[in-house]
Formats: sequence, structure tokens, C-alpha cells
Amino acid sequence: MYPQVLFANRKASRIATMEEYCRSGGYEALSLVVGKWTGKDVCAEVQRANLRGRGGAGFPAAIKWLGVPEEADYPRYVVANCDEMEPGTFKDRVLVHADPHMILEGMALTGYATGAEKGFIFVRPSYESSARILEREIQKARDAGYLGKNILGTDFSFEIVVHRSGGRYICGEATALLNALQGKRPNPVKPPPYPTVKGLWGRPTVVNNIETMANVPHILRNGAEWYQGLSRSSTSPGTKLFCVSGRVNGPGCFELPMGITLREIIEEHAGGLQPGCHYKACLPGGASTRYLTSEHLDVPMDFESVAAIGHRMGTAAIIVFDQNTCLVGATLNLTQFFARESCGWCTPCREGLPYLRDLLWRIEKGEGEEEFIPMMRAMCDQLWNAYCALAPGAASPVESLLTYFEDEVREHIRQKRCPFKT
Amino acid sequence: MPRIVIDGLEIEVPQETKVIDAAERLGIMIPRFCYLKSLGAVGACRVCAVKFLQGPFKGVQMSCMVDVQDGMVVSTTDDEAVAFRRQVIEWLMLNHPHDCPVCDEGGQCLLQDETVSGGHGIRRYKGSKRTYRNQYLGEFIAHEMNRCIHCYRCSRFYQEYCGYRDLGVMQIADRVYFGRFQNGQLESPFSGNLVDLCPTGVYTDIPARYKVRSWDLDRSPSVCIHCSLGCNTVANARYRTVWRVEGRYNEALGSEFICDRGRFGFGYTNQPSRPRQARVDSRSVALSDALKSAAEKLSRIHAASGPRAIACVGSARNSLETQTMLKSLCDGLGLPAPCFFVNSQTEKAVKRAVASLDERVAVSLNGVAHGDFIVAVGVDPLNEAPMLALAMRQAHRRGALLVILDPRPSFLPAPHVHLGFAPGELNGVLGSLVGKALETGDEGKLPPLHEDFLKSLPLESLFKAPVNHGEELDVVLSALQKSRRPVLVCGSEIVRENTPSLCADLALLMRSAKGQCGLFYVLPGANAFGGALLSGSEESSFMEVVESMEQGCTKALVLVESDPFLQFPHKDRLKRAMEKLELLIVLDHLPSLSAEMSHVFLPTSTLFEVDSTFINQEGRVQWSRAVHEGGIPMEQWTEGNHPPRAHGAIIPGQDFKAAGKVLEEIARNMGASGEVSLSDPRFRPGKGASPLEGAPGDRPGDGMRLIPRESSREPFSAREEYFTFGEDAGDSLELLLVEALFGTEELSAHSPALEKVEPKPHMWMHEQDASMLGFSQDDVIAMDLEGGVVEVRLKVSPSMARGVLVLPRHHRLQWQKFRDISVRVPHDRMRKS
Repeated sequence: MYPQVLFANRKASRIATMEEYCRSGGYEALSLVVGKWTGKDVCAEVQRANLRGRGGAGFPAAIKWLGVPEEADYPRYVVANCDEMEPGTFKDRVLVHADPHMILEGMALTGYATGAEKGFIFVRPSYESSARILEREIQKARDAGYLGKNILGTDFSFEIVVHRSGGRYICGEATALLNALQGKRPNPVKPPPYPTVKGLWGRPTVVNNIETMANVPHILRNGAEWYQGLSRSSTSPGTKLFCVSGRVNGPGCFELPMGITLREIIEEHAGGLQPGCHYKACLPGGASTRYLTSEHLDVPMDFESVAAIGHRMGTAAIIVFDQNTCLVGATLNLTQFFARESCGWCTPCREGLPYLRDLLWRIEKGEGEEEFIPMMRAMCDQLWNAYCALAPGAASPVESLLTYFEDEVREHIRQKRCPFKT
Repeated sequence: MPRIVIDGLEIEVPQETKVIDAAERLGIMIPRFCYLKSLGAVGACRVCAVKFLQGPFKGVQMSCMVDVQDGMVVSTTDDEAVAFRRQVIEWLMLNHPHDCPVCDEGGQCLLQDETVSGGHGIRRYKGSKRTYRNQYLGEFIAHEMNRCIHCYRCSRFYQEYCGYRDLGVMQIADRVYFGRFQNGQLESPFSGNLVDLCPTGVYTDIPARYKVRSWDLDRSPSVCIHCSLGCNTVANARYRTVWRVEGRYNEALGSEFICDRGRFGFGYTNQPSRPRQARVDSRSVALSDALKSAAEKLSRIHAASGPRAIACVGSARNSLETQTMLKSLCDGLGLPAPCFFVNSQTEKAVKRAVASLDERVAVSLNGVAHGDFIVAVGVDPLNEAPMLALAMRQAHRRGALLVILDPRPSFLPAPHVHLGFAPGELNGVLGSLVGKALETGDEGKLPPLHEDFLKSLPLESLFKAPVNHGEELDVVLSALQKSRRPVLVCGSEIVRENTPSLCADLALLMRSAKGQCGLFYVLPGANAFGGALLSGSEESSFMEVVESMEQGCTKALVLVESDPFLQFPHKDRLKRAMEKLELLIVLDHLPSLSAEMSHVFLPTSTLFEVDSTFINQEGRVQWSRAVHEGGIPMEQWTEGNHPPRAHGAIIPGQDFKAAGKVLEEIARNMGASGEVSLSDPRFRPGKGASPLEGAPGDRPGDGMRLIPRESSREPFSAREEYFTFGEDAGDSLELLLVEALFGTEELSAHSPALEKVEPKPHMWMHEQDASMLGFSQDDVIAMDLEGGVVEVRLKVSPSMARGVLVLPRHHRLQWQKFRDISVRVPHDRMRKS
């Protein structure tokens, strides 16, 4: 068992209360920091800990915070991204249901670090229970003086509003999320200006994943060195919430050190593959990452190591496929999802994804043709010229399908049917 | 200024120039769908991809999204970029219905051009096409969503650029839909631009729909004459019918957009009721005979009663050629100077405006759009000069504060402060606003004359005013204090005659205090500027002409493209006066009561049938080219048969001439003393050649501004009279006869397309005035007036001046029953009908 930080108070049956959170050291960081440290000090400590964004990109959180210009206008905002629409990812929901105050404290500290007095938690609408929990616990924290006006008797004030999203994948993209929060269409906006300079209503806004924010109290309370010691990786410190699903015996959300191997996660923590199933491939970080095959099983799961082999760790939501799963079918399913969830702003994503979907669907149906393969390869390349990262993400499973499982695709075309269907 | 190399060609461009624009300057037209300079870059369509070879960016990038920086080397022909652009075209064509043969956009379709030039000819996609349901978007624009390529131009123009909300984007992914929440007439009076903007045939122009193919059309650069702004247009004609008018880019005017009045107002030139036949004493005759007869009859009166017995009246819709010719005729025959305005108060205001404009302060429409504080005095932008409203909105989008100082309820597609004061209060409020804002306390910063004028401004009248605007005024004042590029916009229809002079003085004052101040007048009519330059002194007003007719002194009246019945307050009086005339000669292309009453009627050409010149409200000479030769439209001549089966040697209905030519021939037939011709321009403004000289396509004056460097008017001379307040409202309401967006302007009132959308006749009253009189919204109010009873539906507004009655001069309303233009309507003359 590895040290549990975010899941220290996780219980099988219920949500940790504020008292339990406090007993385990909760809100200590807030009292340690607020009124005593400067916002810059907080950024510096988090920067020393090298906390990296948990939403998928792994961008250093403190660098993002420091993007808020010192002389920038007020009010400033903090947004916790709990939209979690990435297929296979459910860590945010588990986190909210495990220890909600950790998120609230992390947000308040982020607000303190960046000079913001208002935070929004942007919650996926299907997470209505999470939204209610957060609203209830925000009230408790406010009553206890951890949120609201003059927190812990200082002149720092911080309010949190829970916002239920309209429920679209693209709303998880930070700039699209900000548009959605302002009541506009959730079209991504290409920086500059970055949200940290001009975000919500033209004011500096920091958008972080809730898991990122949940790490902040622990870093401030225990120090950067402690935090780095949690990880097996030198470049990605801390622990990570891994969501494992698919053909495993024990699917679930596990808090494990960064840098742990894929093999260990699947075989030890997720209980290995189901009887009769052999590992064929997995998506390591949600639907918008490339397939990892059995040759990749010993890759350490941290941002750099996965990137080094040309893949992306994403949200660390591992979806495991066995030898009996048709990956053309699986990829078609994912492409279907992305084609449906495109915001419709730019041509490659809006029109290119349905095109890919059509080609995959024909292959799966037995109507595939040889020239579809080079067409799909070319199109996956072209999708990198889309406006935002949705289309390149959507291209990842397709492109890696063609890279690692071209034979399987060709077999569909040759047999004029899906070889996995009897 | 950064330098860039594009396809081996080097160019230096201003900072913040996009690569796509830099390429355009080099003559390299990078494909684009979403990009439009006026709307800015958003990078949605991805078809402007080019390859960046050197510089801060590398690889395939969108040329609309990257500002030129030093050291950039770009290739538009690189294989990777070309392949990507080709792919984008294929994607865009996946769902396009390929219905070019039946699409009105066909032949002038950007999508068609890019698809063909991109080489996408073979369809690879095997899937079925997405289809949409179309909507009813009103009487102007047809909707065909299946053709849409989702460039977002329409929604961005409609919502961001114009500020209207009823057309926008719905749904996501490949179901994105551009339309309204439900079927209905588009609310924006700029909706017609969607036709021009749309890179394919989603929005097409209903009046022209299914009538013509674009390659069959005759097209000419033209100018809009439906208000004084003179927006540039392209006229399209075929089969002797004008089918369509499009916007045309003009740098000074700042955009390629036009309003719907300008776009759909051309119907007067095609209408079946257009008088095309010359008449003498109700008999149809050839134009040449009518001309001779007109000259003979005029000569007889000239000989018998002297030149003073002949009066000539032109109008603000005359071309400059016509106005000049009329002036030459009058001068040559020794007649009284021509009159171009029916309303003498407006005439005075227009003349003062024209006399005040000079290069120090005059700004174009584009200048208004770049001001940082716009105050519009006595002008209703959306109704009087719609594109001005749009320019003001652009100023707002750049951060300007907009202030409307006007008695009417104000509609503007942008947030603004409306100070609803009566016309008599406008001078005082404006004077005190500027006075307060410039009040610094330290003497000697301004030239003494300016300092004196500043001191003479009535600081208190703004705050004495009956309507309390409180906090708004503070906002306005502080914005004006901070402003570096203020612009004063001044109307001429409802203001006191000296308001334009006051605005000019205040503009000069603000210029010396701030270094810069713009002045922008709105005038009543496309060529009101020319009329003001050419008409006689203020004393020779139309009212004088009427009185002289009544006394029998004026025995002959020549009306040149002018129907005074539309403007004169008392129809019966005018009719009686005109019936006394021995000779009424009417030159026109519109049917009118004057034309019916005429002894000699001479048909004239419209804007579309003759090269003509107009001077817009900022003094800019603009030349419009004929698009066709006129004649009875084929559709009417062949009674709808198509293709036309009737052939002949002559074109029916072509026995007309430009009004200027008609006048020239009359003058020649009368043997006018001295040279009377267009080639002898007595009217030679400025130092250069006359704008009327030169061959077509080579007009020396086209685009030049006829304003002096410094006006010869003596500034600050009339400061006492500016701020003398008029009489108290008493038990009456001040009548304001005003223009409306649709339904009042003389030419466009004949447009069948606009007729369908024009509102019913109505008048406006302040909520409290109405309730005091016991009236409420939608009551029909009867007014007992000198000339009879006028019945009109009432609209009430809480945000307009008290004590005024705002009555749009709707062409369907017989409102001409007032004693005078500037009258007050006593309370007891109004009752619920």
C-alpha cells in the first residue's frame, strides 16, 4: 500500500465530514498561510514542489498562477474544473465523494495565491450529487469560517459558487469553459490573451483541475520535499489518481505514486485481467490518448516518461482492452463520441471527425476499402491543424490504431466483416 | 514596420497586419471563408493555411491568425499547406448540396471559386449528407441552410458587429445551425448584408431570387441615395430591371455594409406606375415636343410677366448635375435662385452645417467609428442615417461612450446614454455639457477667443433641465473629460437653425482643448449638401414661393424631381396655390400629385440610368455610374412572358432624359443668355477641376471632399443667440416631423420589398404627457388641425422628451394638415378617436 494523501479519508460507505478532514490536518494549510504568507510565497512553494496540472496537460500549476500579472485588475477569479467528460475518467467524482473539503481548501489557497476572491466549481451536470455535496460542504466551511468574508479573522475573503455545466465535452477545455461560465457558446478561444490575463468577464482567471487544487493544501502543510518524495518520478512529483476500467478484475480509482508502471497498476492494483482475458492494449489517459500495447506495459506512468515514448498520459484514466475486443469497434465508438462533442467551430473537427467516423464505421461493417487506410492516416495528420486540442486528441486513438493494429484493420477490410463478430 | 517574405516577394506592412492581408497587398489572394477584414480574424474555417518557413512560427499556420513579424518567410504554395487547404475544401463540401445550377449565389460564390481553384473535383466521401430545415427570415432574405459551410460570418456580423440578437448559432458539432429561435422577420435593419457576407448561398436576396443569373447581370458602381451618407453600392440590372443592390467597400466610409433601406429601396426605378410618358395638358406627346412646348410656355410667361414670375424648385434627391443645371438655367434667364428645400427651417440648418464644415473638424463615417466619445445632437441615427448607428456601435465596441441628445425615443444597437430633451433645450444642454467638461480653472491654455466662448457656455442649464438624468450625467461628463477623440454628430431636421453652428463652434473649442474633435452632420437627403451650396439666400425659401403663388406673382413653377406635397405642412393650401399657376412644369421619375397637376410633364431618368454625382453630408463628391439605359422593364412589357417574345427596333419607355439634360434643352430652346450647359460649371467648388467635368471613369472630383481647410464662417460670433430658450411648453405639444427607417423616405417608399416591412403610421408621445391627456399606447388619436383632422395611432415611451409630439412623415398618412412646420399642437385639439 502506498501513502494515501488525497484519499486519506476515503471511505467505502460515505463522504468524509469536515471534522474528519480537519482531524487529518485539513484547513491547517489555510491557517498556516492566510495572513502570514504572501500570495507569492504560496506560488513559490507550489513551484518548488513542481505540482503539475492533473487535467491532462501536466502544466506546472504555479507557473500558471504566476501568469496573473501582479498589477492586474480585480476582481480575479479561480475556477475548479470538475467537468470531467473524458471517457474513462471518474477521479473527480470519486474525489468529491471522498473528501470534498480538500478541494475547497485547495481553491481558497489558489485564490489566496492569485489574489482572487471568488471561485467557481464547474461541475458536469451528470454529477448532480457531486454538485449538491459541494454546495452543502461549502456552507459548512463558510459557517466554520474557512470560506466567506474575512477567513480565519484575516482580511482575506473567498466565496465559492458551484456551477452546473450544460454538459458538453468541450466545456472541459479551459477557454471554452470560461465562455460557458459567462453564458456564451463554449467555443475555445486561442490565447493570447491567456485566461490568467483576461479570463472571466475580462479579469484574470486561474482554471485548474480539482485534483490539482486538492494537492495544494498538502504541499503547503508538508512542504515541497515531502511532496516530491511521494513520487517515483523525478519530473512528476506527488501521487496521482488512476482510474482503471475495462477487462480487469478490480476496476476503480487508485491513488498511486507518479511513475508507477502500467503493469503494476493493472496487475496489482486493478487485480489483473479477467479470467480468460489477455492484455491487448489500453488507453492510458482517457479517450483522447493513443493506445499503449503490451510492449509499453513497463512504462512508468508520469508525464515525461509517457511523452518520451510518443504518448500522452492525459487524465491517467486507463481503459484496458483484451484480445477479444475489436479495437476498430472501440475506436469507432470513441470517434463517434468526439464527432458528437465537437463544438462545431472549426472545419477539421466539425467535418473531419464525422468523416473519420464514417470510414471506421464502413470498415467495421465490412465495407472498408484499402485506400481508407492512407486516407485516415492523412486525415489524422490534418486534424492537428484544427483550432484547439480536441481534434488532435480525437485523432490519437485512430492514429495509434493504424500504427499498432493496422493488421486488425486490414483483416476487417479483407474479410469484409468484423473478425471479432461471429 | 515589420517586413515579411511571402512566396519570395518581400513587403513591409504596418504593425498588426495579418499575414493574409500582407499577401493580399502583394496580389496573393489566400483563400478564406471566415475571415473578413471588417469582422476581424477568428480562425474558424482553416482554409487560409500557409506554411511558415522562417521566423517565430514554423509549419502550417492560419494566415488570418498571425500578425506579420520581422523575419517571417511564408509559402502559400508549399505542398503541405496546399494539401491541407485541399482537405479543408473536401471537408466543407461533404454536406454541401451541390445545387449550384439552381442557387442564386452561383457564379459569384466564394465556395464555388475556392472549390474549383482548390482542385476538389472527385467526391470520396460515401456517407449521406446532413440536411436542415430552413426558416422564414422575413421579406428580404431567403434561408437555405443546407448550403452552409459554417464560417460564422453571419452570426458574428449580426450579433457582434450589428448588435442584434435574433439570428445566431444553435446546436453543436456538425449540426451547427445559423438562424432564429423561430421563424420571423429579421429584426436588424442591416440584415441584407448577410447576402453579401455569406460565402455561399445560405442567405439570398428575395427580390432578385430566381430572376437572374449573376453572370447575366450588368453591374455598375453606384451610390446609395436613400439618406445623406452616400454609402457605396453596386447596382445590378438585367432585362431593363434593376434587381439587386449590393454594398461596396469605401475606405472613408469604413465598411462594405449598407442598410436595408439602401439595399431594398431601389424599387422606384422599376415600378409600373413610374411616369415614363411626356405629357402636355394631359395629352401624351413625344419628349421632344413636350420640351419645345415647355420652352414656349415658359418663354411666354417670361416675356409677359418677367423672369421673377417663374420659380424653380429642385430637391435633395437631385443629382449635382441636375442642381447645377437648374442653377445655370435660373441664372441664365435671370430667374430667382432655385430652391431645393421645402422646409425652410431645415434649409437654414443645412446651410449653416454646410458653411461650418471644414478640414479641421470634419470626419467621415469611419472617423465616427474610431471616436472615443460620440454625442449625437438632434439626430436619430437608426432612422435618419442607419449606417451611422452602425458606425457608432463600432465606436462603442472600441470603448467609446455614446450619448444621444435628442427628444425622440432612441433606438441604437449599442448601449448608450439617452438624454431626452426637447429641441429648444438641446443647445443649452450640449453647451453646458461641453462647458462643464472643459472647465479647468486655469486660464490661458486656450486662445482668448476660445476661452471667451468657453466662459459664455451656460454651465447650469444641463442641471436645470426638467428631466433628471443624475448619475448618467456624471458618467457622460467624466467620459467627455477623459476623451481624446470626441465626435459631435449633429442632425438638421428637428434642431434649431443655429444648432449646427453651435456644434461647429463647440467642435473647434474641443479641438483646441483636446487637440482633436470630429464633427459629423446628418443632412436631409442624398444631395442636400449640393442643394445648400447652390440655392439662393435664406430669404428665397419655398414658403416665399408659395406666398408668391398665392398672390399671383409667381405664374410658372418648375418642379425638378421634387414633390413639395410630401414635405409641405398644409396640403390644401399648397394645392390651391398651385392651381392658380398659369404653368406648372414637372420633371420627375416618381408618380406624384404634382406630376398629376402638371401642365407639362417631362419624364426623367433615375440614378440607375445616367451617370450622376452626389455630395454626401460630409461634402464628399461621389460619382455613380449608370447600370442600364432604362426603358419599360421587359417583365412589364412582355406581361411576364419569359424569354421575351416581343422584338422591335426601339426600346419602349426610353423617351426620357436626365433632368439636367431636360433643363439644358429647355434653356437652349428659350435662348437663355450666356452659356448654359453642364460643361460650363459655374459651380466650381474648391480649387481643382469641377467634379462634373471629365469622362466617365475619369471623374476628377470623385471621392474628393468639397470643404475648405478653414471655414470662412466667423466662429463664436453668435454665442448669445445659441442659448436663448424658447417659449414654455404651455398647454400644447411641439410637433416634430421626423424620418423613420422605413416608410418616410421619398424614393424607398415606392419599394415593394420595403412596403412589406414598413410599420404602420404612428406618432410618439412621452408616457406622462399621454397619461395627462388620458391617452395610452395604441389609442388612435384625432388631431383637429387647420387643414382638417389627422388620425394616427399613438405610441408612448418613457424615454423621450416631454412636451413633444413625434410624428414620422409616413407616406401612408395624410398628415399634411398643419399650419406650419414649426407648430405646437394644443392639448385641446387632440382627442381619442
